[in-house]
Amino acid sequence: MMDCEKKDIFFIVPAYNEGTVLDSTLRPVLKEGYSVVVVDDGSWDGSWDIIKKMPLYALRHPINLGQGAALQTGMTFALSKGAKVIVTFDADGQHRLKDVAVLLEPVIKGEAKVALGSRFINRDDKNAVPFLKRVLLKMAIIVNGIMTGLWLTDAHNGLRVLSRDAAEKIFLHENSYAHATEIINQIRRQKLSYVEKPVRIHYSQYSRAKGQSVWNAVNILIDLLLRRVFK
Amino acid sequence: MRLIQFLLIPAIAFVVIVYLRRFRTLLLDRLLILAVGVFGIVMILRPDWTSKLANDLGVGRGTDLVSYFGLLGLTFFCLLLWSKLRDLEAKLTEMARAIAITKAEEK
Repeated sequence: MMDCEKKDIFFIVPAYNEGTVLDSTLRPVLKEGYSVVVVDDGSWDGSWDIIKKMPLYALRHPINLGQGAALQTGMTFALSKGAKVIVTFDADGQHRLKDVAVLLEPVIKGEAKVALGSRFINRDDKNAVPFLKRVLLKMAIIVNGIMTGLWLTDAHNGLRVLSRDAAEKIFLHENSYAHATEIINQIRRQKLSYVEKPVRIHYSQYSRAKGQSVWNAVNILIDLLLRRVFK
Repeated sequence: MRLIQFLLIPAIAFVVIVYLRRFRTLLLDRLLILAVGVFGIVMILRPDWTSKLANDLGVGRGTDLVSYFGLLGLTFFCLLLWSKLRDLEAKLTEMARAIAITKAEEK
């Protein structure tokens, strides 16, 4: 059992032009007393002015680098602030705070170093995923399995909980969305213990519009393959 | 000498000189580019040699041989550039990250 207060739990929230939803996404998290690190990934929609005024750690990339880069910046920063647990959390409001509690439990209890959210454990969560997205995710699960040797029930799920020592061992070089596969790869290579827990993703009009398209998935795959060939 | 030779040879010489002066400082790189340049000029001056080499290698025409090698060379340079870009991106990321962390605002 880890000795851990809520302020020792750091939410890392990469944000790229999410100005309109940040407040509603983060208010409940802040109210709970968690520490929040928002990494503005070079937004141009005025997000930064909103982030700066909120009671949290506000970081800003001078240029847009990608979600993977923003996550890594946030993790590096959180570790320097003494984070004991790290939660990766999307800015668009697609994650539920009560799911975070479910993921936190095994990590705080010391049962696993990493807890990963999965949409495919509970039937209801699975049904909440739009059909096309479900097909796409199934393919991503297979690709991830082949590439990393770690067969999970979900892929590219943005909700994760990492213990401090897990976060210290992980370093994302993949700036784009391909970081989602890279992180799994590193979990396996570093032999970090992990669990998957059910989470529900809230597919709002907003997050659907902003989310990744099918073509993006193809792009991610090419990125990863190139990465394999040219270290 | 044919007209085309008058056009191609200065062009190659120009490329080699620019390359040597501007881009590469590594001795090995310089020797390599010099060798490629000289080889190119020889091929322009003596097309029959290229044809002979092509025939020996089992390729019909000298032109074909040159275009095969040309394509290979281009591909190689693309990959080289691509990996340079990745290095550059990594450095840029490191710098942007450092800036973001030093200028972090806390409330």
